[in-house]
Amino acid sequence: MRLGIPAMRRTVASFVAGAALALAVPAVAQDATALLGRAADAARTLNYTGTIVYQRASGVETARLIHVNDGGEEYEKLFNLDGPAREVIRRDGEVRCYYPDAKVVRVEPRTFRNAFPSLSPQQLSSLGQYYTVRKGGISRVAGLEAQAWTFEPKDGMRYGHELWTDPTTGILLKARMLNERGEVVEQIAFLDIVLGAKIGPDAAKPTWPVSPPDWQVRRPRTGKAVESETGWTVSKLPPGFTKVMESRLGGRGGKTDGAAQLVYSDGIVAVSVFIDQRGGPQRHVGRARQGGLNQYSVKQDDYVITALGEAPPDAVQAIASSVTRR
Amino acid sequence: MNEDISRLMDGELEDDGAVDRTLAGLRQDGAMATWMCYHVIGDTLRGDVTPATRVSRRLAAALADEPTVLAPQRRVDRPATWAWAMAATVAAVAVVGWTAVSLTDTPASTVALAREAASLRADSLRPQVIPAEYLMAHREISPTTPIQGLGPIQRVSVSGDAAIAR
Repeated sequence: MRLGIPAMRRTVASFVAGAALALAVPAVAQDATALLGRAADAARTLNYTGTIVYQRASGVETARLIHVNDGGEEYEKLFNLDGPAREVIRRDGEVRCYYPDAKVVRVEPRTFRNAFPSLSPQQLSSLGQYYTVRKGGISRVAGLEAQAWTFEPKDGMRYGHELWTDPTTGILLKARMLNERGEVVEQIAFLDIVLGAKIGPDAAKPTWPVSPPDWQVRRPRTGKAVESETGWTVSKLPPGFTKVMESRLGGRGGKTDGAAQLVYSDGIVAVSVFIDQRGGPQRHVGRARQGGLNQYSVKQDDYVITALGEAPPDAVQAIASSVTRR
Repeated sequence: MNEDISRLMDGELEDDGAVDRTLAGLRQDGAMATWMCYHVIGDTLRGDVTPATRVSRRLAAALADEPTVLAPQRRVDRPATWAWAMAATVAAVAVVGWTAVSLTDTPASTVALAREAASLRADSLRPQVIPAEYLMAHREISPTTPIQGLGPIQRVSVSGDAAIAR
């Protein structure tokens, strides 16, 4: 069943432009950007083991994470602690998901790291223009004294964020996304963490052989995004969002015309726009949601246009609805 | 009538006449509850249950202000994944049972209707899911990914049963 009612559009909070763009980037916004960069570096370069809890409105999931950086090479193992066993191994430039109950290994040719370009000076200033950034107090997270940060949105086109980092290493210990009513839509946190553990790649080895003999190995045909002109654009972008990438998803077999992917970001989150021919993976129109991720799909001629990102439903809908040929 | 309501929502009514008749029928006792309950199921299947309580208000506003927007959209293809249809039955019953507690403006009969709808119409309850291909492609570029470490993959893997079925 599909909620095919465009009337669900709610009044999009109109953006009230602030004073003229400040020439200097506010110090706290600079701090905040440094904080984000530092958190990303720490997550990549440190050795750590910990228990993660991931929470959204519909439930809570817990998982164990082991991360090893061995001479610049990353090895990571994640397995869930509740529900059917799942294990995710990241090494050698690919990600393997083990499903022991189904005897399936799914191989993703992706690393989920560092694809996001560095923030431009313009995006740096827009952080302070579209969010009120505050350095909060110190509170305990995962047994550590953590520094709190809040990114409060100035309009209805983005969610609020609360982050807690370890002041020593900069690693992110807890992150929250909040909607316009201040409700947590998604939260991820370490329950416990050991930083700087003396562990090697073996600590992040899969429980099973790389490809167990009687298991099925599935490699989705989804290829990497290849940067290219797509001929599409978004005519009515919410304020503060700028294009950071334009590409086509390649290697989907059979189809020569891979989906176009346009990515827009306000510096904190991103919204991807996928323009796919009918018969692609998106078979529905309307809204969908998964924690802090919202999706809106609409049909246009022979195409299905989907906007997907960590932004409120109104924002992704506004983006999906204003995709045009350039 | 329930069948018509469902077809209206799915954009499967044959012509404008049928749409008008069904819309008129919504004014009858109980029809509105059915309509709402189908939406609650749809909302809950699509993701989080929090929007459910807003459905009736949104719907009331939609009906009062913009009846024309209820016109059905052209039918979209059915999903190829059978796994979701099975999951839908379980999810709908479990979730609707839970939702009944939180719906203050819903008649009690809605729960029964919802259960019936969930069990009888599981094949037509088409949960909106975020395609794994898009999710992966988005997660690779999203700035929240490096910050949150493996969180995104956790999400993909735990909800990966649908992906497996493909």
